[in-house]
Amino acid sequence: MAEPAPERIVLVGYGPVGARFVEELLPVVRAGLATLTVVGAEAADAYNRVLIADYAVGRAGREALEVTDTAAAVAAGVSIRTGTSVTAISRTRRTVTLGTGAELPWDRLVLATGARANVPTLDGVTRLRRNLMAPPADAAILDSAGAALPRGVVALRDLDDAHTVLGAVRTGGRIVVLGAGVLGMELALAAAKGGAEVCVVYHGEIPMNRNLDRGGGTVLARAARAAGVSMVNHSRAESVLFHVDDDGAARFDALICADGKQIGGDLLVLSCGTGARTELAHLAGLPVSTGILVDESLRSWADPAIHAIGDCAHVAVPAAPGASLARPAGGPTGLIGPGWRQAHRLAADFTARLTGRAPGTASDTTPAELGAPGGLAAQAAAVVMLKAEGVDVVAGGDTAPDPWDSEPAGHSDGCTATPVSVSQWADPEHGRYVKMVTRGGILTGFVCVGMPRTAAELTLLFERGSELPADRSVLLRFDGPDDVPGAGGDAFAPDATVCSCNGVSVGTIADAAAAGNSTVACIAAATRAGTGCGGCKARIGEVLTRFAVPTPS
Amino acid sequence: MTPTTATHCPYCALQCAMTLTGDAGGVTVAGRDFPTNRGGLCKKGWTSAELLSSPERILEPMLRQPDGSFAVATWDDALDLVAARLAAGRAGHGADSVGVFGGGGLTNEKAYQLGKFARLALGTSRIDYNGRFCMSSAAAAGNRAFGLDRGLPFPVEDLDDASTILILGSNVAQTMPPFIGHLAGARAAGGLIVVDPRRTATARLTENGAGSHLQPTPGSDLVLLLGLINIVITENLADLDYIDRRTVGFDELRRSVGQWWPERVQAQTGVPVRQLRDLARRLAAGDGTYILTGRGVEQHVDGTDTATAAINLSLILGLVGTSHSGYGTLTGQGNGQGGREHGQKCDQLPGYRKITDPAARAHVAGVWGVHPDSIPGAGIPAVELLASMGEPDGIRTLLVHGANVVVSAPNAERVRAGLAALDFLVVCDFFFSETAALADVVLPVTQWAEEDGTMTSLEGRVIRRRTAVAAPAGVRSELWIFQELARRLNAPSSFRTDPAEVFDELCRASAGGPADYSGLSYGLLDTGEPAYWPYPAGSTGTPRLFQERFRHADGRARIHAVRAGVTDAPAQTGGILTLITGRLLEHYQSGAQTRRVPELVLARPEARLQLHPATAAQLGVADGGWVDVTSSRGVVRCRAEVTGDIRHDTVFLPFHFPGEQSANRLTADTTDPVSGMPEFKRTTVRVRALAGGERGTHG
Repeated sequence: MAEPAPERIVLVGYGPVGARFVEELLPVVRAGLATLTVVGAEAADAYNRVLIADYAVGRAGREALEVTDTAAAVAAGVSIRTGTSVTAISRTRRTVTLGTGAELPWDRLVLATGARANVPTLDGVTRLRRNLMAPPADAAILDSAGAALPRGVVALRDLDDAHTVLGAVRTGGRIVVLGAGVLGMELALAAAKGGAEVCVVYHGEIPMNRNLDRGGGTVLARAARAAGVSMVNHSRAESVLFHVDDDGAARFDALICADGKQIGGDLLVLSCGTGARTELAHLAGLPVSTGILVDESLRSWADPAIHAIGDCAHVAVPAAPGASLARPAGGPTGLIGPGWRQAHRLAADFTARLTGRAPGTASDTTPAELGAPGGLAAQAAAVVMLKAEGVDVVAGGDTAPDPWDSEPAGHSDGCTATPVSVSQWADPEHGRYVKMVTRGGILTGFVCVGMPRTAAELTLLFERGSELPADRSVLLRFDGPDDVPGAGGDAFAPDATVCSCNGVSVGTIADAAAAGNSTVACIAAATRAGTGCGGCKARIGEVLTRFAVPTPS
Repeated sequence: MTPTTATHCPYCALQCAMTLTGDAGGVTVAGRDFPTNRGGLCKKGWTSAELLSSPERILEPMLRQPDGSFAVATWDDALDLVAARLAAGRAGHGADSVGVFGGGGLTNEKAYQLGKFARLALGTSRIDYNGRFCMSSAAAAGNRAFGLDRGLPFPVEDLDDASTILILGSNVAQTMPPFIGHLAGARAAGGLIVVDPRRTATARLTENGAGSHLQPTPGSDLVLLLGLINIVITENLADLDYIDRRTVGFDELRRSVGQWWPERVQAQTGVPVRQLRDLARRLAAGDGTYILTGRGVEQHVDGTDTATAAINLSLILGLVGTSHSGYGTLTGQGNGQGGREHGQKCDQLPGYRKITDPAARAHVAGVWGVHPDSIPGAGIPAVELLASMGEPDGIRTLLVHGANVVVSAPNAERVRAGLAALDFLVVCDFFFSETAALADVVLPVTQWAEEDGTMTSLEGRVIRRRTAVAAPAGVRSELWIFQELARRLNAPSSFRTDPAEVFDELCRASAGGPADYSGLSYGLLDTGEPAYWPYPAGSTGTPRLFQERFRHADGRARIHAVRAGVTDAPAQTGGILTLITGRLLEHYQSGAQTRRVPELVLARPEARLQLHPATAAQLGVADGGWVDVTSSRGVVRCRAEVTGDIRHDTVFLPFHFPGEQSANRLTADTTDPVSGMPEFKRTTVRVRALAGGERGTHG
């Protein structure tokens, strides 16, 4: 019997999520079970967009952004076409059309087209209505569609944007950041540290208001101000003013807010969130919400041969036929962790299907009866962490509940949901704030500012779905100066160990002293204390002094 | 005048020098000046001689009777029976139905002879040893990176001058206490950094400005190391000149760690970014920086990759093969180093040669005087070997030397069932260990003070073990047993009984191999000159390895990029916690020896489950109260020790104890795909406080 023809897999998008998918699929490509063609719009190989703020302020080099070995993928037989756009998907003919006009056939199509920066409505900045528009054939204008941002205005999304920002940081320029989400705050803090003068302008009362509650946001704003960043809240940007440079070109001059404030600067960085690149899917008739709708197996709701992963994917349970098409829960998080988990999951599923093996991790030592892993990996709740040296902010889940919220009334059908309880610690003077929202002892949300060790532990507890200690204050002490468990006790308590090599306690030495052993050498002979590494001899002397038997006079 | 004998401690790989005084009537121990221990000994060493005259000692061969009891036999009868059963097993089910299980406590001579005996007298490929549970991951990583595996590729005193020492997953203050004297310099410089989920006695050495303690969640060591590598690279702390001159593979490493930026590492390890950055900067800043790994990071299903990540970190910092810095792994068992060099590993021939290498087979066959084709091929590693007992085409007859697998192997109850399913089990030991108690024949053998031999310490130094007292009349050396059995089995080659002669043969067999001992002899060792391998004939040995080149053809170290797998840890609710296992100051390995020393038993009579006060409060566990610890493989019943020295998500059990306190009833026999190392340090368990009426049988 003839070998079946290898499955033709086409991946659209070569960002970090696409690259992870490629890497994990290499074994089946090498084995000849599948062919893989990657089409990426950016000219560069996949790079780590998470670090783009670091790159934009000169804190990370270009090499540090590399996340994949494209040469190795090519050597394994993967065809990689960068700088190429896809303009259409044909579901009936099972092809994609490239910007060049060429068509690529596929048996399985994976969309990892990512997200683009939102450009807000500002007088002076061209706004695009994109949802009905076909992707351009020229990959270089995939997001701008030819309507480039004015000079001195960037949306920090790709390497070119980063270079523009880097120029402003290097010259110590004044940077206005519009939007105080994670990326905006990371950029602002890093640029300020890099020597730029930075001002963050945002709508609401607090920065990172999607992730933080009022307490956490307020402490973060204070920390940012302490780090030299101007934080301008309650400000709705309306328009952009330009001046004409010596070369005759118009350049950003100032941002004008609804209340008449003018905030001048050399560079305006738009950090107003992202939107999934869904046009291709939309045009192909695939269901789209805030991203391309896929089920828990990352298959399109409408076509099981088409998959979406990463920032372009909206993972949700498909609506039953005839059910309301109201916006499904969830949606892309804009975070890399979930995207990588999805890439891993999808590659594992493909591999299992192609090799005829059951999916699953061989190294998993977790017996099922002892508790299932924390939900579908692809859907695990995301934790947001601010990457900024000296400003520690971590948050996850629903952080809105307040300790004094009144309990919602029970359902009329008698169902009694476990109530949410909230524990909180606020010490704004020292830049510390923690909120733990739990249901049945398990975190459903948390905020942690200025307490890195506590943040790390809360992250682990949240991601695993583990039970918190009943005494929540245990979790607050990790960052205290007294976090030396068990230490700080009486160094001369009878059971305090003096010689660890021989397990000799203060009490044993005191007894030996009482029996007439008055020197370190005598104590060694009597108890073996000090006869190992010898490091405790001075301490034996101290114990002897303390417990010396008074010489009868 | 009472005779004195200069020898070394029977226990760990530090091989502290000691002087034994006395005779069969009573032996006293004193510390002796030597670079590793500088005259000091720990509690185990001081009390080691008590076992020589232990009333529990086996003094004559013992044969199991039809009623299950043991009866004394003559050596002739016992050996005739063993030889007959070995021959019958081979004839009936093939040579590979006979297995041999060795130990890292055997002298080089015994380990060498055991490997030779298995291949030539039994014709079996099925030999492996308990070092598989100990050094296999670090050994695989070292071989892969450097082309050579010597635990410390430098003398231990080199650590004295270091300003920074990073210890990953090792509690030396309890497992080899005199070693901590070598940490004094780094502590004085504020540069001792200990990574451990527990605040161990070693972690406490970092207090009061001596350094820092990182307390990651169990099983996250690989991510922690990848994160440190990421920081070293992104903060331009890497030694690019060294990387360029001495290594290959850096670009792939750089790309592979790009995904492990510090905040992501914090989220998976529980170690704050600040600590990670401080550590990376400290490692790069020190003149004199050592990175040392122990079982804590190696005893995982990704243990080889974790050790590799530690090596990669060392390489990109330019530490390895310099006169002032380095990487090392802290070997555990007394002859854990020599024991992994001379042929008791399933894929190995003497001199750390590969059994699959035709040139190696030809050389060793030449020394043994046999045809290369008569040496079997590679066997299977320990966990697999033990798991094959009772299985079709598995092991049906087993010889055990210097190991107590019922206590020390993972998934211990399965091992017990496997041993019960054997046709025939022979155990050589001093005592009725838990494994010997299951044997058909128990052969009593000599203890350390009753024999001559060599050991290779954790620093790759070959040292002499010397006879201080005569063995009891009915006790024999394994070398003699091998000779007697080989004669009865009509084995080719020769099986000598004089350790010096066996050593000379070992040296010749090792000539040209990675662990080359060919320039060594008892005469040379007895001069007291330090002898670090490789020690080819005509050389003066190699105290410091890799000064010029690594042992790959191009002389360069291999940076092997490794990745952290996706781990779905279960939610910790209702008493579900992560168990790690380890050691106590008072006990050694399976406790077969130290549990028979009254002073040690008095200090540590039983296993106790360490858990955090907050966790204990949640579960209603009181300090000293009884708990059941359950995994899908078994149950341990013991008392609790409530202590703030452990993470709230982690519990700890020492593995020295048998029966219902045996930690390895809980561990899984899943293994590292490269090294065959079991997963000892990330077992999901459920802890339950026992009600008033329930308690253990030993309380």
